Amino acid sequence: MFKLTRILARNATVANLTGARNLRPRLYANAAALNEKEQTLTAANPDEPIDIANPYKKDRQLCILCKHNITPHYKNVKLLSQFQSPYTGRIYGRHITGLCKRKQEDVEKAILRAQHCLMMPGHHKDLDFLHDPKLFDPEKPVRPHKY
Amino acid sequence: MPSYELALVLRQLPRPELISVIKRTAEAIFDKGGIIRKFENLGTRALPFKVSEHGVVHREATHFTITFDTAPTKLSDLKEEFGRDIDIIRRYIFKVEEPEDYECTLHEEMLPPAYRKDVQELIDIAKRKQKPKYNYNSGLDYYPFQK
Repeated sequence: MFKLTRILARNATVANLTGARNLRPRLYANAAALNEKEQTLTAANPDEPIDIANPYKKDRQLCILCKHNITPHYKNVKLLSQFQSPYTGRIYGRHITGLCKRKQEDVEKAILRAQHCLMMPGHHKDLDFLHDPKLFDPEKPVRPHKY
Repeated sequence: MPSYELALVLRQLPRPELISVIKRTAEAIFDKGGIIRKFENLGTRALPFKVSEHGVVHREATHFTITFDTAPTKLSDLKEEFGRDIDIIRRYIFKVEEPEDYECTLHEEMLPPAYRKDVQELIDIAKRKQKPKYNYNSGLDYYPFQK
């Protein structure tokens, strides 16, 4: 925290000297280099608040299917079986899979289709895909369980 | 004419007979004025559970898909015709959907409830449903409505 305030303070002086109010928070690395050049200019008011973008703003989250641009399809049984419980064959909920609303719906629809077409079991997970890498941990849901 | 995908589950058959079954289904589509776009063989596999169809128990089957274009009014006729075929265990016709561009909404869904749009709408609905209440300290020394 102390480090951050120090960086912010340094950035503040630079921003005021240059008059560049739209200095982005990602430019901290260049701040030291700029500092020497801008020393000659006079400051208008170093105590003036500066306009910067929120440095605490988090990056936009993407679900795993959107990140890799995958559309679930009923013939892609290997992918779909990763969203199925190995014990009961039930589809994991959105709070466990961490998918966005739309992709979760697509996955559920595709799984039901695959099960109707006899490509996928409904009461257990396909034994061929039992040891596939885990996309999520059902013991640690993204959001808490309803019960 | 919209595109459809016919997902077939065929009885375990020797190759020449399998070809004749597929020819038969393809000709049925042609007879109804359809156009075939693609054939896809998904291979012979053990079924996830035993299926009894047309009086026979099946444990293995061949999965096959045919992508075709036809008038939507002909679909029920086609389904009925395939349903009478002894060699076909399951037949499903799905519409082929074009991939549409879609942006992940996971970030908005993970916000705290007060910032979520759907929750804000719920709160608005609840506010709208509240009946106007009589204010007792409005200066009147009697209650103007029936109690």
